[in-house]
Amino acid sequence: MKKLSFLTLGVFICLALAGVPAAVAASDTLVVMQEAEPVGLDLMQSSIQTTMSVCYNIHDTLFHPQEDASVLPALAEKWEKVDDLTWKITLRKDAVFHNGEPVNAAAVKFSYDRINNEALKSPNRGKLSAFTELNVIDDYTFTVKTAEPYAPGLYMLGYYLPIVPPKYIQEVGDTKYNTDPIGSGPYRLKKWVRGEEIVLEAFDKYYGPQPAYKNLIFKASPEEASRIAALLTGEAQVISGIPVHQRKKIQNSGKAYLTPQMGVMPYMGINTYEAPFDDVRVRQAINYAIDKELINKALFDGQAIICAGPISPRTFGASPNLKPYPYDPDKSRALLKEAGHPDGIQARLAYPTYMSQIQEQAEAIAANMGKAGINVTLEPFERAVMWERYKGKKHQLYIYWWDDAPEPDRYMYSLFNSKSRDYYYKNPAVDELLDKGRTIMDRTERAKVYAQIDELLYRDAPWAYLYVVPEVFGVANDVDYQGRRDGFLNMRFAKPKM
Amino acid sequence: MLQYLFKRLWHTVYVIIGISVISFFFIHLSGDPVMLMLPGDASHQEIEDLREQLGFNDPIYVQYLRFAWQALRGDFGNSLYYKIPAMQLILERLPASLELAAAAMLIALVVAVPIGMISAVRRGSLLDMGSMLGALFGLSMPHFWLGIMLIMIFSVNLGWLPTSGRGTLAHLIMPSVALGLSLMAMFARLTRSVMLEVLSLDYIRTARSKGLKERMVIAKHAFKNALIPLVTVAGMQFGFLLGGTVIIETVFAWPGVGRLVVQAIFNRDYPLVQATVLVLAVIFVAVNFIVDMLYMYLDPQISYFEDK
Amino acid sequence: MNSQIIAKTSIFEVISPRLRFMIETLGEVARRPSALIGGIMITAILLTSVCFPLFYGVDPLEQDLLARFTPPVWQEGGSWVYPLGADNLGRDVLSRLLYGSRVSLLVGFAAVLVAELAGIFLGLFSGYYGGKLDSLIMRMADIFMAYPFMLLTISVIAVLGNSIFNLILVLGLSDWVTYARTIRGSVLSLKEKEFVEASRAIGTSHRVVIFRHILPNVISPLMVLGTLRVANIIIWESGLSFLGMGVPPPMPTWGRMLAEGRLYITDAWWLVTLPGLAIMLTILSINLLGDGLRDALDPRLRNI
Repeated sequence: MKKLSFLTLGVFICLALAGVPAAVAASDTLVVMQEAEPVGLDLMQSSIQTTMSVCYNIHDTLFHPQEDASVLPALAEKWEKVDDLTWKITLRKDAVFHNGEPVNAAAVKFSYDRINNEALKSPNRGKLSAFTELNVIDDYTFTVKTAEPYAPGLYMLGYYLPIVPPKYIQEVGDTKYNTDPIGSGPYRLKKWVRGEEIVLEAFDKYYGPQPAYKNLIFKASPEEASRIAALLTGEAQVISGIPVHQRKKIQNSGKAYLTPQMGVMPYMGINTYEAPFDDVRVRQAINYAIDKELINKALFDGQAIICAGPISPRTFGASPNLKPYPYDPDKSRALLKEAGHPDGIQARLAYPTYMSQIQEQAEAIAANMGKAGINVTLEPFERAVMWERYKGKKHQLYIYWWDDAPEPDRYMYSLFNSKSRDYYYKNPAVDELLDKGRTIMDRTERAKVYAQIDELLYRDAPWAYLYVVPEVFGVANDVDYQGRRDGFLNMRFAKPKM
Repeated sequence: MLQYLFKRLWHTVYVIIGISVISFFFIHLSGDPVMLMLPGDASHQEIEDLREQLGFNDPIYVQYLRFAWQALRGDFGNSLYYKIPAMQLILERLPASLELAAAAMLIALVVAVPIGMISAVRRGSLLDMGSMLGALFGLSMPHFWLGIMLIMIFSVNLGWLPTSGRGTLAHLIMPSVALGLSLMAMFARLTRSVMLEVLSLDYIRTARSKGLKERMVIAKHAFKNALIPLVTVAGMQFGFLLGGTVIIETVFAWPGVGRLVVQAIFNRDYPLVQATVLVLAVIFVAVNFIVDMLYMYLDPQISYFEDK
Repeated sequence: MNSQIIAKTSIFEVISPRLRFMIETLGEVARRPSALIGGIMITAILLTSVCFPLFYGVDPLEQDLLARFTPPVWQEGGSWVYPLGADNLGRDVLSRLLYGSRVSLLVGFAAVLVAELAGIFLGLFSGYYGGKLDSLIMRMADIFMAYPFMLLTISVIAVLGNSIFNLILVLGLSDWVTYARTIRGSVLSLKEKEFVEASRAIGTSHRVVIFRHILPNVISPLMVLGTLRVANIIIWESGLSFLGMGVPPPMPTWGRMLAEGRLYITDAWWLVTLPGLAIMLTILSINLLGDGLRDALDPRLRNI
């Protein structure tokens, strides 16, 4: 019958084409697969991790931030402190943008003005709010001032002020710049097929060392099983977003290895304005009720780092005197009784559904608390609703996360200073210490201040402190790449492994 | 005829207006995106300024009218999240969605229709019962589960097909099979039942009594009549397919419209949601229109001159 | 005076032929083996779903983190403590499947009920009264049909929030169109029949005519349609759970077990396969029964 032969033919064609192997990457091409595609390629217009990862290959900044919160030169060649409030920075003379424009002080001033421009609505603008002005001295020298001494200054410039080409941007405008950027980094954009891939190629006039891979392709797959499959079949050589229970599989496969990168620090915030949580004993009871060791062992394979106070144990400034709250449900009950709740309390725990592995953690934590007399109702919300309610002070208990950056001011200030957020907690003593901490230039002295903050917050327990979960990248065996704590996929550092 | 066309045009217009009003209503009710657009430490003033600037403080009907007026001129605004024109984003992703839907539809039809026909002709046979049971299984299987199983078997274990993404024909096979399976089941059952009915009609018996070869009888007369409901359902399903592929698109990282719009809803990206819903509705209505036109070709007895 | 007497007696006369008809239909259905199997299966599933606490009392929410990913009893490492294995938090899969059946079946049947009720009312009034009302309702139907289903449900849940009640409401209200159209079609053809005209001639009110005379005659296609749609709703619920918008945790539903289990598909196949099987078996039995019902009731309906 005619239909049958058509069918057979069709099946044969399909099978034949299926036999065509997936494109194998040439050895000078590196394929990186993330969880999501960048929203745009203008570093100033986005603060999303996956977007920024790609941007850092295209854009360079003044400094290379290091793992211990210090900086090395990038576009800036040397710098000196003129006084406590002013840095004088000299640019290198041989840096150019991908379109040939020179990287000079005028470009730096243009970049500084652009990111501070209200019309651009840069989400990174707030991070540079400590800087008050930037003045050009000559073609390659400029000064930048702060209102008060600001220790993290150069570190922040190293991340959040990409230097962009003035002439090009003035020609094409911000919207087009977001899809066709020109930067001064080691890679230039060759083409972007939205939804499929971003193809970058090495910039031959880059001032620094040429990256080992001439071609760099970024892809995205939101499904973790697909990403891992891609790594194991050789379709991608570097992947991000690997849940804990899949990590052993990659290690045992013999085809790829894991390299640590950003640490994710989930925490449970408590609404300290609302009874019964306004009583510090109740808050401490919550801390005693969570069995962090067991959760670590079961959910994170023992890889998580348990936190004592709010400052990550990996960051300088964490107090060496603190030990994490031990699991002690009896003590929880005792504290609750002391605070006037012998029969336990009710609590609502909100969490955003888009966080990875959050469902498990929330359920495990809720079960723990239940055993100590704290009856938890789980409230999953999608991202937008969670955020709105958060700002609307509607949560009682909530889980969010931050990354454990090496620079403590980065998140401590944002999260605990009432000038930044005061939705659930306000403590003038902490405010004062935080303001002080960012103005002290000497590292040891700074560490002492942050240790004080750590201890204060530990005792006052506006959060239930959890742990830091180190994220990893999966890397194919023929690539040598070390992940960094900022979690950005800066592939200029990758090279083939012999 | 002209009257009929006008009626259809009017139908299209009110459907589109209705849909745009409903989706506008819902997405605005669900909260505003301004807080998502600004970083965590934005001040209340900044939030208010942005809200004012984007026009979210105006009463809702004013916002709708503004949207409608611009839409009529072809301007759907910029996506709040991607910051490029919403229509451009949709048009970039639409070919992928269409490709997937068409492939799923094709696979389903090519496999299901012959099976349905044979089952009807050999009613009660093992083949008939077997394939109908198989169809039931196909209808009962969650398609995203099937998708992941396919990846595990054909990509990871056997290495025959790429895991995800879009590019070559090889990339298209698994997602369209996963999507097409339940369609296949539906079409097989439908074809069979319609064929059964048609086969028992009087004029088929007459044709048989005239001595034509059995095969000719089946192919020409029965099938052509069975086409009508098949085409209707296929047309409707195509419309559904375009909007409902988000799960398969997630599993296979397929750059289609489904995932784009669901993310847009989560991001409260009004312009993008509005534009997508409208585009999908227009396609749905267009497909239905084509289906109705096909009716006229397939069954000259149906007349459009009287009131439906 | 006359019409009141007629109204009173017609209740009884209306019901007992209905009862006879229902029993006949059941008999028809039972004669087909596939439908009988389907009927038995779904009855077994429903009974189990209701009665299981009598002989299996494990708490579906009880966690034992150290026992996570225990395989089912017939695999190496399994034990009778977790007959069908344990999930990622060490909860008993069998217990979760049993409790989950309640939620999935409840959402499935309730949503279909909501859809049917909405469809019946709208279809009845639309078909009977005709005119402007009919126009309006049918246009609404067109609009609903053209609106991509997933998007509609997601948008509404985004507004109303997650809860089992909202879920039922949303799934039900998104689906009314097919029922309404079917009923309307039947009503249109019945409207012209003699017994209706006769009723109206005596002076029976519209309401009585609609609900007592027309409705019982048009309801049979709806039963068939309804049974077949329950399956769809169960799959849609699992899809919504996949996207994080289904029934809120920690209540187990088959849909959410599928969505959560998919993360562990390579290490713990039973977390995805077993709920998937449960869904498949339930839907299969419903479909078998529904097919049998349809064949028994009305050969015209074979095209659905």
